[in-house]
Amino acid sequence: MAVDRTPTRPPDDPPDDRLDGPDDSLLTARAAEGDEEAFAVLVRRHAGGLIRLAHRLLGNRAEAEDAVQDAFISAWRKLPEFRGQAGFGTWLYRIVTNRCLNVLRARKPQGPWEAADDMPAPEHTVAPDRITEARAAVRDLHEALTGLSAEQRACWVLREVDGQPYEFIADTLGITQQAVRARVFRARRHLTNALGAWR
Amino acid sequence: MTTRTHPPGPPPPHDPDDERLPCGRMLSRVWADWEDGATDAHTADCPHCREAVADLDRLETTVRALRDDTAGYDAAPLTRRVMDVVRMELRPGRPLPLGDHDEDLWVMEAAAARTLRAAAERVPGVRAGSCRFAPGPAGGARGPVAVRIEVHAPLSTPDLHVLAGEVRRRVLGAADRLLGLDVTDVDIRITDLVEEPDGAPDGRTEGGPR
Repeated sequence: MAVDRTPTRPPDDPPDDRLDGPDDSLLTARAAEGDEEAFAVLVRRHAGGLIRLAHRLLGNRAEAEDAVQDAFISAWRKLPEFRGQAGFGTWLYRIVTNRCLNVLRARKPQGPWEAADDMPAPEHTVAPDRITEARAAVRDLHEALTGLSAEQRACWVLREVDGQPYEFIADTLGITQQAVRARVFRARRHLTNALGAWR
Repeated sequence: MTTRTHPPGPPPPHDPDDERLPCGRMLSRVWADWEDGATDAHTADCPHCREAVADLDRLETTVRALRDDTAGYDAAPLTRRVMDVVRMELRPGRPLPLGDHDEDLWVMEAAAARTLRAAAERVPGVRAGSCRFAPGPAGGARGPVAVRIEVHAPLSTPDLHVLAGEVRRRVLGAADRLLGLDVTDVDIRITDLVEEPDGAPDGRTEGGPR
């Protein structure tokens, strides 16, 4: 049975202080005209979701924060030319994803991989052995992800972990939906094989 | 709501990673059907298809744990770091003349815009976005300026002309009293009509924080 892959957070519908302050389009217009306080609200509103995205793409919290920080600063510089066709959240989602893709491409194949140790423990209460089991599986998955190409990894994470539609992923990465589907399929093959081997 | 709205397109042709299951179905099709929530009589009964789908289910279970692991971040430290850099790269805009012709007093566009947006937002329910300046009809570096401001107005506004008039009055008043900026025209563009949040009394009319 298929699972519900609704995105946990559409890029332009952040729940954080949604009602606190003007909407993104107004803040983006202000920031484009040099209002840095408006930009600060946008950063606060979107930072959490973007760090989560980058962390999922890169598997490393520190690198994720660097990528998101760079993306915001680059956005501040490009804002005067931004016409707002996509919405601020979608625009930043694209910048962060492509920045992470470049980081992944620059990695040495099979390079040193940070274990999932620095990740916060899940907050739900489950029996300790089930937590251990789940954490071991997550670590195996992290390990298996290093076997994917940067492009496969990006497509798979956006689809499977972040729950984005194929069309959105194709737009974000500037490739065809067909290419996204092919990469997600190959990633699933690799990951199911790798996880199966450790069962 | 789900995102399974794409057409059940054919699998990538000639994918070397694809595999024909012993039952004759291609693995890519079985997985695509799983993703689309499509089932037929064959998949319900076929042990090979069920096994292929079970592999994906196991992967999905692990992905859920991964999602939990990458949830919840404190955005405050990152916001501080970003804003530290932004404040070194401010874009204040051009200087606008304040006071009389023979004075040498100016205000930067970004600062003036902030004041005028706040003034517009004193009209209940109004939210201001873009606020730009252009030389007025008289022209000249120290001549009066025209303002063009974009606002969102409440959907429930009975008369947009009255609302626009009130916004204009507030903007002109702030330009005169708070800035000393000579404004000839205030061009108001209502770019959206929005519903107000439920039960949110508008505190901005008293000049509260925005």
